[in-house]
Amino acid sequence: MIKRDYKGPIENSIEMAIEKIVNLLQYDYYLSPRSIAILLLQEDEGIRNLVKEKDAAGFSEIEQIVNNLKTYYKNPISYELAIERQNEVNDILKKAVRFAKDSISFRERLSRLLMNPVLGIPVFLLVSYFGLYKFVGQFGAGTVVDFIETNIFDKYITPFAENMVARFIPWQFLHELFIGEYGLITMAFRYAFAIILPITAFFFLFFSLIEDSGYLPRIAMLIDRTFKKIGLSGRAVIPMVLGFGCATMATMVTRILPTKRERIIATLLLALAVPCSAQLGVIMALLQHNPMALFIWAGVIGFIFLLVGYLTSKILPGDRPSFYMEIPPLRMPSLSNVIVKTYVRVKWYFKEIMPIFLWAGVLIWLGRLAKIFDFLVDILKGPLRAIGLPAEAAKAFLFGFFRRDYGAAGLYDLSAHGKLDGVQLVVSCVALTLFLPCIAQFLMNIKERGWKIGIGISVFVLFFSFSVAYVLNIVLKTLGVIL
Amino acid sequence: MDKKIILPLSKLDLHKKAKVSHIKTEDKAMLQRIIAIGALPNIEITLIQRFPSFVFQIGKSQFAVDKELASCIYVKAV
Repeated sequence: MIKRDYKGPIENSIEMAIEKIVNLLQYDYYLSPRSIAILLLQEDEGIRNLVKEKDAAGFSEIEQIVNNLKTYYKNPISYELAIERQNEVNDILKKAVRFAKDSISFRERLSRLLMNPVLGIPVFLLVSYFGLYKFVGQFGAGTVVDFIETNIFDKYITPFAENMVARFIPWQFLHELFIGEYGLITMAFRYAFAIILPITAFFFLFFSLIEDSGYLPRIAMLIDRTFKKIGLSGRAVIPMVLGFGCATMATMVTRILPTKRERIIATLLLALAVPCSAQLGVIMALLQHNPMALFIWAGVIGFIFLLVGYLTSKILPGDRPSFYMEIPPLRMPSLSNVIVKTYVRVKWYFKEIMPIFLWAGVLIWLGRLAKIFDFLVDILKGPLRAIGLPAEAAKAFLFGFFRRDYGAAGLYDLSAHGKLDGVQLVVSCVALTLFLPCIAQFLMNIKERGWKIGIGISVFVLFFSFSVAYVLNIVLKTLGVIL
Repeated sequence: MDKKIILPLSKLDLHKKAKVSHIKTEDKAMLQRIIAIGALPNIEITLIQRFPSFVFQIGKSQFAVDKELASCIYVKAV
């Protein structure tokens, strides 16, 4: 694999070092000893640890060979090897492949248009509007969810479950675990299958389409500069876009970010300032007749997103993120590919999310049984009055944590009964968007980031959301804004 | 003597053919990224775009990178 040309005295060549290491390796690694030797010279951490364990006897001698070789090269050995490999590849290509003359194809022209900041950003906004808002939001989260809820759950599954529970479980307090407003079947199960399943299916369908067309890296390169200011790189566009579908799923996808620092910042921003499709739907419904209110809401949320990202990136230690991504050619997505991908992802997502939903259901049952909810609603009334909202909103906020749609729908009821004026509406929408993510996301934060950071993020979000709403309320009142 | 100037990729004119002369970085992780991209000495490279990110072409592949990475790759015009 590596060319045997070398520049120094023979006993210090890479090839000699490989030979010496091969002779010291005793254990059968499944890879050829030569590959192991080359990986050791490249200082591959994983292989180094493996050899240290399996070939303990020869390990110190191997280390000596690696370190000795390093003193003869100005550059890291991995770099020298990469150059050797590259030369070899070029030699083979020269003999075997002839390239056609380059001309800039239509595909390439389109690609450059998408990467051009003046045209690319409006195109991105259009794709988001039609793909996320119209297709996933209005059609998937609206029409399809309504259909499944009313025609399947309300008609068949819920009555069936109620019937079975009433017949086979004699204890009243256990009934509420399974049925009723917050039961495992009527809430957790229904929430997962009637709401989350269709939304994620439509979302993943949209996501697979833009992924397979090669569009995602082009968005990433457009947004990298902005994201650098908030401690993220263009790569983070993937979890952030996913966050508009379901922030819980997006938190899981922060795994693709290369450093812990980026993962923490992304998790915090997803918890705080990225509204999921369930929230977006109801907020749009609340504010749609009031464009100015919608504008203020979007402006405040966007500003908080950038501000908190910026401040966090200043506070958190660690290196600045680096951005590099291959820009694949644009392609027409293949339908079968998109369907298979969507199916596999929905399945994977469900396996991760279902236990969390069931746990949430049990927690709610316990919380209600122990009257913790009434207590929490009372606690919430104070801060809500402070941000200028009626006490009735407390229930909407608390239950919003368990069922985001319920929280926002609670506000919708208040607004429909004329209990909220324009300013109160904007303030409550801002507070609800920033407020604690739903319980599933809360549990996911802990699962992905650990207890300390997961709870830390939630406590911060709790206080911060009310502080922002408080300030916004005062500012709007002082300016005499009437919405 | 070769009179052609060597400059970082970030300063190269757009659409001008160049060859990588060397990589300059003390950061091992950065070097690893550049190796992964394949921007190694003697490879032909063309800059396609510099804003909002640097986009360049190597062979049939295109890459988008930030300024820090583009500044580590030194090139000479061909």
